[in-house]
Amino acid sequence: MDKWLNRAFLTGLLALLLAVPIGTALWGAEKTTAYYENRTLAERPALTGTSLWDGTFGSAFESWLSDHFPGRATLLKGDTAVQMRLRPVVNGAVLGGEVLLPFRDYDTWSAEEQSARAAERGEKFAALNGYIEENGGTFLFVGFPEQRTYFDSEYPAYLNSCAEETASASRLFREALEDRGVPFLDMGEVYDAQGHPASYYASVDHHYTWYGAWAAYQEIMETLHASGFDLPVLTEDDLDIQTLPNPCIGSRNRKLYNLWPNDDHIVLGIQKDPVAFDRRDNGQPSGTPLFVTPSSAAEPVAYGVYMGGDYGETVLETHRPELPKLLIFGDSFTNALETLLYASFDETRSLDLRHYQGGSLKDYIADYRPDVVLCVLNDSFYYTTAGNGAVWED
Amino acid sequence: MAFSSMTFLFGFLPAVLVCYFLLPTRCRRGRNMVLLLFSLAFYAWGGVRLLPALLASCVLNWAGALLAAPGKRHRKAAYGCTLALNVTMLGYFKYTGFLVTNLNALGADLTVPAIALPAGISFFTFQAIAYLTDVYRGTIPAERSLGRVTLFMAFFPQLLQGPILRYGEFAPALTDRRETVSDAADGAVRFCFGLGKKVLLADALGQIANGAFAAGGRLTVSLAWLGAVAYTLQLYFDFSGYTDMAIGLGRVFGFSLPENFDYPYVSKSASEFWRRWHRTLSFWFRDYVYIPLGGSRCSVPRQLLNLLAVWLLTGLWHGAAWNFVLWGLYYAALLMGERFLWGKALERLPAALRHAYALVLVTVGWVLFRSSGLAQVGEMLSAMFGAAPGGVWSGETVYYLRQYGWELLAAIPAALPVKRWLQTALTQRQQRGSGSAAVTLALAPKVLAAVLLAASVVRLLSSTFRSFLYFQF
Repeated sequence: MDKWLNRAFLTGLLALLLAVPIGTALWGAEKTTAYYENRTLAERPALTGTSLWDGTFGSAFESWLSDHFPGRATLLKGDTAVQMRLRPVVNGAVLGGEVLLPFRDYDTWSAEEQSARAAERGEKFAALNGYIEENGGTFLFVGFPEQRTYFDSEYPAYLNSCAEETASASRLFREALEDRGVPFLDMGEVYDAQGHPASYYASVDHHYTWYGAWAAYQEIMETLHASGFDLPVLTEDDLDIQTLPNPCIGSRNRKLYNLWPNDDHIVLGIQKDPVAFDRRDNGQPSGTPLFVTPSSAAEPVAYGVYMGGDYGETVLETHRPELPKLLIFGDSFTNALETLLYASFDETRSLDLRHYQGGSLKDYIADYRPDVVLCVLNDSFYYTTAGNGAVWED
Repeated sequence: MAFSSMTFLFGFLPAVLVCYFLLPTRCRRGRNMVLLLFSLAFYAWGGVRLLPALLASCVLNWAGALLAAPGKRHRKAAYGCTLALNVTMLGYFKYTGFLVTNLNALGADLTVPAIALPAGISFFTFQAIAYLTDVYRGTIPAERSLGRVTLFMAFFPQLLQGPILRYGEFAPALTDRRETVSDAADGAVRFCFGLGKKVLLADALGQIANGAFAAGGRLTVSLAWLGAVAYTLQLYFDFSGYTDMAIGLGRVFGFSLPENFDYPYVSKSASEFWRRWHRTLSFWFRDYVYIPLGGSRCSVPRQLLNLLAVWLLTGLWHGAAWNFVLWGLYYAALLMGERFLWGKALERLPAALRHAYALVLVTVGWVLFRSSGLAQVGEMLSAMFGAAPGGVWSGETVYYLRQYGWELLAAIPAALPVKRWLQTALTQRQQRGSGSAAVTLALAPKVLAAVLLAASVVRLLSSTFRSFLYFQF
């Protein structure tokens, strides 16, 4: 029996060792993206004399082989399911609470360092604010807590929520802007005043929900009204609020291969008498609606429903020249807001500077001279100097 | 190339197995040639630029041994020169930066050179010195074939982390070995167990150790101890896992490589620990440094000096930094103490106390070993013994205990000779005629090996999981 067992064992092992490279060659190499990881897969490295000499070919080949392992996504999904039963933190997501939160490491930030960085950011935004005013516009910075900040009390006591550091960083950032005369709307404060409703933020995604966006819209419109803008404002009576029955894939749950059970659903605020618009995305006419909904109720949806996701530039023209023009730039928190804000302006231009390749924000403002400029950022980007943080270059 | 890499498991390994076993058994030279070529490719995978150092060492020691063999003229000079060149080469690659940094600390103004360290240089240089010395002493004949010497020094299963081979034990297998199905199956099982130790235990425990050793001002008493214990276990599973893989691969190709570990954490003294930990290195120092210096057959002061020299070199062999020197001297002090001061008193203590004594001392030793410098040694040790900046307990400790609790639980029986106990018990039952014991003995290791291999591969894949919140396509 021993001999038979040994032969069977060795044959099975050798078959496995050979099956993987064959499988990779036949099927694995075709894939270019890893949906659940939200990234591109490594490309097959080019064999060059230099890369062989310095060893970079070996490490690049290892990345390629790992990324294109046959059945990789299925194996990782299975492993995630097992890990979720064994550990409190899986793939960077904190399990066990009412909401999915990201794991934060235990490093602390120094107050001096934060303070210096806040001053630096304040200078940039002050320069931008001055430039917008020179061009006849009004600037408003709208700051949001990210989901991990909004639900920081949900972290288990033994994990680091970074609550103090985030609060300190946000306070310093806000002070740096306000001290330099930059109008700042702190939506975290607004949400707190409204009782910090849990419904404002997703449990499986890092964004707010439509309800959070709706509250923000109302607050922005009030702030603009106080600044002298007389704009048409949508009220709840103007909207048909619909909850999509589709299962919701949030960015947090995506890391868990959507295995974390939840009741999140995407909510849409559809205008009963919609303001008509023409849309252009990245300079091209676009028929993409405000809400890109799936064709069936079983199909999963994500935050990308709002405006169809992130674009470098989106222009919505309502052809009402009596109304002012809006420029809104920032992260994906803008998307849900745009579905509401555009109805109050003649033209709404939205830039996501992470993706926009058409030039600097400064040039864009000079070219289009918007009446209102909104910067919409969540607190995880306050100190980012690239992308939507690249607001001013001297 | 690491054994725990996809490239090795699913590229290199099947390729070498197919090429090797496609050649008929009688074609021994051809099979050796396959092993040699694949060994060089294995080494060059990390960068062809590292290959010349290995090849130069092979040629140097092959020629040096031929000239230093008994009966050759000027063989003493040939031996001395070759030995000096080996030490110089090791010194140049491994210790130049350390030396220059220390000279600068003393006031010199020298540029610290950026020298790429050839992987495994400490291992292949020690193997070469052992070969050269054995030839010089007349213990073994000088090998005339450069290919055989190169294969001995570059044999891929043990090239990067040992075990340190002796040519006298390796050479007969080059011509007379027999690859059998039974050995190959045992070797494959051993390889899978080693891979599991490395990937499933050591890598996870390493996360705790990394966190604790990087905690700095957040360090608590509990985190310092947890980190030290995790590192103690990580190092064992990492190194012994690698050794298991090396021995297993060797067996697949018909070689019997020496054991390097014998459950070191069951030791009851520091001396016993070093008879169980990295045995091939201990034997190397015994045979090529300690005994030539006079060993223990000399005066007590001389014995102390010999011990000090051996442990200073052992420390430096492990790394070019002061904490390794300190670690070596720490063991010198412990071994001297056990031999001349408290050894007899220790033997009279209950076994549990002796075991605790050894474990605490070994754990403290690994803190010296793992620390990035003397400052961190002080930081960690003072935290372990009560003076921690963060107090006694922290959420971070709880996190690591909960996150890696399974690995910590599994590590304890895995570090004990449980497998040996089970095997002995089953063998005894089998000898008494138990059919189920016979089936378990034949089947269980293979099933477990297959499970460990599958779990390790999935874990390795999981370590490449990189999720981005924002679009990264």
